[in-house]
Formats: sequence, structure tokens, C-alpha cells
Amino acid sequence: MANAKGRTKKVPRNNDLNVTSMMDMFTIILVFLLKSFSSEGSLLTNADNLVLPNSVSKKKPQEVNLQLAVTNEMVLVDNQPVIPTEDVRKIPADDPDPSPPKLIEKLKACYAMEEEMVRLGAINQVQGKIVIQVDKNIDFDVLFKIMNTCGKVGYNNMNFAVMERDQG
Amino acid sequence: MRNRKKMTVSQDMDLKPFMNLMVTLIPMLLISAEFAKVAIIDIKLPEQRGSQTKTAVTQQPQEDKSEKLLLTAIVTDSVVTLGAKGGFMPSLFYSEYHHYIANDDNHDFTVAYEPGKPVKHPNTGRDMTIYERYDIYLYTVDGETRQMIKTLYTSFGEMLTNANSEPVQQANVGDTLYALSNPRRVIIVKNPAEFELKPMSAYDELKNRLMKVKERYRDAEDGNDVIIAAENQVIYDKIVQIMDKAREAEFPNISIAKLRG
Repeated sequence: MANAKGRTKKVPRNNDLNVTSMMDMFTIILVFLLKSFSSEGSLLTNADNLVLPNSVSKKKPQEVNLQLAVTNEMVLVDNQPVIPTEDVRKIPADDPDPSPPKLIEKLKACYAMEEEMVRLGAINQVQGKIVIQVDKNIDFDVLFKIMNTCGKVGYNNMNFAVMERDQG
Repeated sequence: MRNRKKMTVSQDMDLKPFMNLMVTLIPMLLISAEFAKVAIIDIKLPEQRGSQTKTAVTQQPQEDKSEKLLLTAIVTDSVVTLGAKGGFMPSLFYSEYHHYIANDDNHDFTVAYEPGKPVKHPNTGRDMTIYERYDIYLYTVDGETRQMIKTLYTSFGEMLTNANSEPVQQANVGDTLYALSNPRRVIIVKNPAEFELKPMSAYDELKNRLMKVKERYRDAEDGNDVIIAAENQVIYDKIVQIMDKAREAEFPNISIAKLRG
């Protein structure tokens, strides 16, 4: 309307806010957000100080029964701290049975609960499924002992949680 | 505005209800959007230790073993070795480079890793924490001289190999090269300058070798299996990267074992 100045008759000014461009923007944002929307939400909860490694794996986490998280300080089962990671590290590497007793106890309790649920008919069978979230700076020694413990209790179906890499 | 004397009837669509919808929908979707996506990796139990597989392994007759591939990747703190059919390929020696991104000023730098030596911020000199370590690069080095081996990469970051799956250091016009993707992509060199001579990543060479094994023993009974045997001090991140390479080379059944001694 800058050229309206010189004219004698004033063009009636449209006082409405021009929302068309804003609508365009909103539509694009809406499409983008709908695309990244997942109905399940986040099935895994992140513990503090836990940096998952990046991986190209595209496999989505399924229904999760039990989560085990290993940070640099603590080993957590379902977000409850069980033992310090230092205790796991202290177990000598050549120990034929390198399982921390407290962790076994906790996992056995979880396993028993799952069995109880089968008995009550809530689930069909004990899946023995566990999702292990390990900080990417943990050494293999600790990881191995943790995996050994899970396997011993009966959690044979192990999954590692990782972060999806940005680029394909 | 065709006729100024008439009452101007607004031709615009009434966008207000639509706007209301947008204003409620966008915050709702923003809250539930996941920006960092979590994925999972399937893992088989370490064979020697698993409660179920233990007996199965020990009872296996010896002659049955000869038909199996038994592909194993052995990882220690300076060497990656592939073994299959009871033999071993030449070891891949590597040196570690750590890529850090500082939390405070987002400074981005890569340093050669020296065990036990704290990493300092290049500008402020403060110690970096391991949480700021973003990636670990493994560059292949010569086993004796510890000289870094360089090889050609495409602009997409794929390693180039010749027809025998060996990494190439030099490209001439008219050469046929293969880019390391799965399946390998044929490139006929037109302009050698578009390729870049970079330090060879041990992960890429490992993928190359794994693909070579896959191409040769596609029909093996356990042609989808790979065992990753790692030493105690190997960092979990490296194991995940190696698992990625194994999956890219079509070895989806990954199990983990411990390297003794």
C-alpha cells in the first residue's frame, strides 16, 4: 500500500491480518510433526548419565518387560539402582561365575514375578526378554558379566538399546 | 474491489477455526514428538556360557564343525582379526582417535588416544569428561611401523576397492573400482580428483573383509552368524560399531564371546 499515498482516492485498507503465509507455515510444521509422531510414545526411559552408542540399527523397541541400565556409576533394574558398577568391575575377570549376587537376587525376583503372571494368565509364557541399556563408555568386561548374570537367571532374549544415527 | 460503491464482501475463507485447530494440534504433537530415536540390537547369548546352548555346543560331533563357517571377529585394544573355518585372516592393526565435542563451547576436535592420559580442551585446557567423547575412530596402521595406512574414499565416505576387494591407494582414468556399499557399487573412474585419500578406517576394512567372506561362503550352514570375541577392556561403543558393520555385511545373527588371556 505504499503507492496509495499519491492517489487522491484511498483504496479501502484491508485491516485483517494476512494469515495465508502463516497457514502455509503451520501446515508444513503439522505435516512434519505428524510424520515424526509415533503412537507408542517412548517405551524406553533414559537414566541419567547414560549415553547410548550410535548405531545404524533400525529395529524398533517392542513391548518391553524389563529394563536394565548400566551407567558408569550404577546398575539399575527398571530404573531402581541395584549395585554400583564398581562392584561389578571388582569381580576378578577369571572368576568362573562372575555374577554379582545382589543383581541375581533382583533379577530372580523379576523373573519370578513374570512366572506368577503366567500362572495368573496375564501373559502366555515367560519370554525372558530384557532390554539392556549400556553407556557407551562401559568396558566389555562389565557388559559380559551383566550378560552372564541375565543369562543365568533366565533372561536369554537380550536386546541392546542404541541411538539411531541421523544419516541413513 | 471490483465496484467500490457496493459493500465489500470478504472473499477470504474464514480461517479462524482452522487456526484454532493448528494452535492446539502443534503443541500436542511437539510434546509427543521423539527427536532422538531409540533402536535395539538383537543379541544371541555368548555360546559357551548360555544356559541352553552349553550342552549343545559340547556335544557337537567334530566332523560337523568342518562344514561350518564359524566366523569370529576378535577384538583387542589394538588389533581386529577375522577368523573363519579354523583359519585367520591377516590382523588389522589400528590406532584410536577420539572425537570430542565440548559441552560448554561446542568445540569439535579429534585427538589420538593415549591410555591413561587425560584429554585437555585445546583452548581452555580443562580436562574433558568421557561423556563428551562423541565417537571413536579406528584408523588402520601398519603392524610394525605403526604408520597410518591411507586409502581412497568417495565423496560419500565409502571406501574404494579393486576387483579383488583390496583397498586402493591410487585411481587412474578408466579404472574400474568398487565402492564399499552392500552390494558393491561399480565406479568407472572419470575424474580421479573426486576421490579423497584418507586414513583407512578399521571398521570399513572390517566390513570389506566381512563382505568378502559373505560372498565366498554364502551357502554355509551358519552363513548368517558371526561371533564377536572381545577383550576385557574393549569399550562397548566399539563393539556396537563392529556389530553394525557385521549387520551391514549381512551377518544378522551376532553373538558375543569373551576372549580369554
